[in-house]
Amino acid sequence: MSIDPQQPFLRTLAPLLRGLEKQLRTWLDGRRLYPVTMVQRAEIEGLADDLKRKADALDVDRPLLVVMLMGGTGVGKSTLMNALAGASVAQASFTRPTTRDPVVYFHNTVKPDRLDPALRLCRFAQHDREPLVQKVIVDTPDVDSNDLANRDKLKELLPVADVVLYVGSQEKYHDQLGWELFKEQRQRRAFAFVLNKWDRCVDAEKGLRPDADLLRDLKAEGFENPRLFRTTAQLWVDAERNGEAVPKGLPDGEQFRELRDWLEAGLTRLEIEAVKARGVGQLIAQAEAVIESVKPPDLSPQAAKVRTAWEAVLADEAAAQADVLISTLEPYQQEVEHHFSVRGQQNFWGLTAGYLRATTKMKYLGSTLRDKLPGVPRLGSKVETPDDWNLTEFVQNCSRTAGERVLTQRLSALANRLLVEADQKGFPLPLLSDRTTDTTKLDWEQRFTRGLIESLTEVENEVTHPVGWRKWVRGGLTLFANALPPVVLLGSIALVLYQLFVNTEPPSLAMMLLPVYATLATLVFVHVLIMVFLPVRWASIREQFRGRLQTKLEDELTRAYLPIPDEVAAAVREEKRQAEGLAKETRQVAEWVDEREQAAHVAELYGK
Amino acid sequence: MDPHAHRQKVRQLADDLAWLEDHCRKNADLAVHAAHLRLAAALTRNVIGPAADGQPARPLFAAVIGGAGAGKSTVVNFLVGAVVADANPQAGFTRHPTAFLPAAFGTAWPSHLGFLGPLQRLASEQPASLDQDVYQVKKLDPKPDDPLAEFVVWDCPDMTTWASANYVSRLMEVVAVADVVVYVASDERYNDEVPTQFLHLVIQAGKPVVCCLTKMREADTAALVEHFRQEVLAKLPASVGDIPALPVATIPNIPPEVRKDPAGDGAKYRVPLLNQILALAPSAEMARRRTVSNAVKYLESAGDGLLDVARRDLTELDNWRSVVAAGKQEFEQRYRTEYLAGEAFRRFDKTREQVLQMLELPGPGKFVSAALALVRKPYDYARQFVMKTVTRPAPPNLSEQAVCTAAMEAWLAKLQAEALRRGGQHPLWKQVTHGFDAGLKAQATDLFAQRLRALEVKETDELDQMARAVPEKLANNPVLLNLLRGGIIAADVAVIVLIVVLLWPPSWWWLLIIPAVSLTRQVVEWVVKAVVDAGRNKLKAQRAALASEQLTTPLAAWLGDWPTSGGSSLEKLQAVLRRVPDAIRELAGMTKPNP
Repeated sequence: MSIDPQQPFLRTLAPLLRGLEKQLRTWLDGRRLYPVTMVQRAEIEGLADDLKRKADALDVDRPLLVVMLMGGTGVGKSTLMNALAGASVAQASFTRPTTRDPVVYFHNTVKPDRLDPALRLCRFAQHDREPLVQKVIVDTPDVDSNDLANRDKLKELLPVADVVLYVGSQEKYHDQLGWELFKEQRQRRAFAFVLNKWDRCVDAEKGLRPDADLLRDLKAEGFENPRLFRTTAQLWVDAERNGEAVPKGLPDGEQFRELRDWLEAGLTRLEIEAVKARGVGQLIAQAEAVIESVKPPDLSPQAAKVRTAWEAVLADEAAAQADVLISTLEPYQQEVEHHFSVRGQQNFWGLTAGYLRATTKMKYLGSTLRDKLPGVPRLGSKVETPDDWNLTEFVQNCSRTAGERVLTQRLSALANRLLVEADQKGFPLPLLSDRTTDTTKLDWEQRFTRGLIESLTEVENEVTHPVGWRKWVRGGLTLFANALPPVVLLGSIALVLYQLFVNTEPPSLAMMLLPVYATLATLVFVHVLIMVFLPVRWASIREQFRGRLQTKLEDELTRAYLPIPDEVAAAVREEKRQAEGLAKETRQVAEWVDEREQAAHVAELYGK
Repeated sequence: MDPHAHRQKVRQLADDLAWLEDHCRKNADLAVHAAHLRLAAALTRNVIGPAADGQPARPLFAAVIGGAGAGKSTVVNFLVGAVVADANPQAGFTRHPTAFLPAAFGTAWPSHLGFLGPLQRLASEQPASLDQDVYQVKKLDPKPDDPLAEFVVWDCPDMTTWASANYVSRLMEVVAVADVVVYVASDERYNDEVPTQFLHLVIQAGKPVVCCLTKMREADTAALVEHFRQEVLAKLPASVGDIPALPVATIPNIPPEVRKDPAGDGAKYRVPLLNQILALAPSAEMARRRTVSNAVKYLESAGDGLLDVARRDLTELDNWRSVVAAGKQEFEQRYRTEYLAGEAFRRFDKTREQVLQMLELPGPGKFVSAALALVRKPYDYARQFVMKTVTRPAPPNLSEQAVCTAAMEAWLAKLQAEALRRGGQHPLWKQVTHGFDAGLKAQATDLFAQRLRALEVKETDELDQMARAVPEKLANNPVLLNLLRGGIIAADVAVIVLIVVLLWPPSWWWLLIIPAVSLTRQVVEWVVKAVVDAGRNKLKAQRAALASEQLTTPLAAWLGDWPTSGGSSLEKLQAVLRRVPDAIRELAGMTKPNP
């Protein structure tokens, strides 16, 4: 892109900067998972403020260049200002600190409301000097006195500055406070340097002359060829008062004139644009760096690793929990067996059904009596058996007992174990910690209950409605068991009748009771067959039940915990994408600005 | 007392204070304490040490301090009365202290061991800009009636340039040794924050100070002094000792030829300055006594502030311990509910059998017992059947070891997760996390296994002891045993006799003997069971306490102390905090003048 000097380049930049600022603010306000440190947040807020300020300042035909004097108390900032103005515009005195209210020196054609809001509250001094029409010179409070409010005022003003005139004296050019402020600001603004009270610097007997010393320090900071002016402002002020054009007795190498010329003529429109563009460019470069630093990493590989690690942990946990829950069922094994027996016998009818019901009742008489007898210790609440037992209530009791005894504590331990595993796989813990801990607080008792009920029902279905060859065995046996006793009964009655009436044998008690014996014997035989082929034993139910319960619990645990790392990683990925988008837009603006920056030679105002 | 013991004490205290200073510098929110600790260490080395050693009061020391370019070297020249110090316009030129030794002392330099601490004395003369931890001593030419003949005058580096961070420690060392401090402030510097803060530190430490304002126009002198008093001197902090109000002398901006002739043309400015210094030190002994006593007071006040330095670390240590304690509580809770609640202590069933066995009749009485047992047989069978149907099987109990191991793992996982969660809050949690990476878990598990074994041994002993208690008591008390045996057989006989007499002649009714004899037996069994179960319950109650005492309490103590063991900085901090106040008290006692 070639640059047309007539094109209002800076003005077009304003909306771009506003857009960028808005995006930064939206990004700041967004809810995010990946942490942004306080420092980063403050930095972005500061950048957004600066962008807005810059945009407002650029949104005019001829932007103003703000030159700000900065330095320790007593180095002669106000004196320098007065010398530049050729009149007493700033208060200068021997008491320290002198300047508390900043002075803004600008052309009388500039309306004060065109100044940055931070400058509008300062003292105004207007002039009619044509060469300075586009420039605003600001005298600021000190950086180093005991009056800390002065430093705060200065720091509020600094963001407005395009060019900072770092004023040092023989005593203070090397001071830590000013130097640190310079290092903090040098990335954002242009810097030129003034060594005031030059008359006190020239009589060096030993050591470096202060200007050489300062140049050496600046070189170390990356300013190869800085603009340094050696001045003795007091002499120029005195000369002005005495009506002399040039003061008498100026020390060798005094450069106040050069400084004035540079401010008036050296900073042309092209230079001003370049300084402004450079300021914007530096701001944007900084924005890029900050956005890069807050861009979260891609956590997907870690999430996959965490997933694998968690699967193993959760499987372990499910096995342990299943054991605990099963052991709480142990005291109720008789009831469970009883329940299954009753359910299994529902397919039988007639004599067989009656016989089985009677034997079952006999067999489990003790366990049904347990809760009815006084003085027998109870576990949990009463259990209703067999047909009308309340499965839900019974199971709830079990899971509550288990929860109170063991599981609640196991769950909080589980969360800790999972977090430790995740950390070992390199997943940032703060992102997982809350969600994992919250998952532990879900209503697990209800999940245990559900798992128990479902597995019990499934096992019951399996026992009562088998599939495959079992189904045929069961069907055949049921048919056989249902049919045989009536056949035997009828057959034996027929036999007795035959003996009585056909063979006319005398009736005997033994013969008369034959149908009863025979039928009973058949029933016992059938019962034995049922017990052999369709066993209902706790030991076997238990294993089946345990297996199913473990699967169920594993499902529940997996459903609750396993998605967490992936979801977090996905959310962070989305945040990364947003940050990348922001960085891309910033880069585009940066490239656009870059070309304009090269248009004039202002490089010496910036270090490397 | 060993004559060298106090030297050892002084060195230890100075080292401890230096370590604390270092510790403060590492923590941003403690940095404010660092300067005080540095000064305290320097005072220990340079004032308390020589005083405890009985070093002479002479020479006194005057340190000239101030911001860069304030005119310290010029003031030194005025004090000495000749141009001896390099005055030049490069800010921060002087980078190590130089002592100007009056001719009267000859070669007698107070070379006490540890004096000026880390600073080495330069053997040969070097420019003042040499940036090393050194000092040099320049001997002055003899002068007749030198007013400061008792004083060594120190020219010090500045504290305002950005390079001063490297050498401000040298300045501190010399300020500590000083009996009088001369604070130089120029017309540019007199209301600067950094030198003023330094002045505050010097005042707080109880050093007498003379202020010297420089470089103002002669005409402004009075107004400037007034402003200085108002802005700076009126806002000074409290001092530990009694020091006189700060006198202010002035050396205005004077032509170089006057500056270079302090004893002649400059005498106008020099004499008031010297008078102020001499007024602060009427005699060497008195001045040195004040220096020592103020140094002691400063150390004592610093001792009070030490806890502040460590507060955050100690709070965090408390946090760690409370996490450990919470883990301990969870462990014990799990031990109680998962193990103890379901534990039946079957050993006591054996005891019951044993006691019942002992209550049977001995010798020929055996036949009577056997006969009665035969009579009770039907009842026994019936009871057995009923009990079997009615009793629920107990849920299987987890083994103690399994429960403890699981609980221990949970405890450690809790600590590790908590340390990871709080990693950003304080270095302590980082230290714990590193510990877990470097075998803390294995160590804890080893200790746990060891304690668990010890617990199991104790438990077996205790169980055995308590289970044997009742039978042993009976065995050791034959009278009681026989009385019981007699009582039981008497009850049986009485019941039989009663039925025989009441239902005479013999009939089926005599079968009532069977339930009657069974009933007496049942009563005996209930009583025995109650006695044995009392022991069982007592054991259960004691078991929780035993596990706490043998297992969890030692483990919690070990874990709680872990961050302060193994040469960690917290361990050192605790040791230093214990040592420092004692050392200060002892040294204060040593330097008190003998009554």
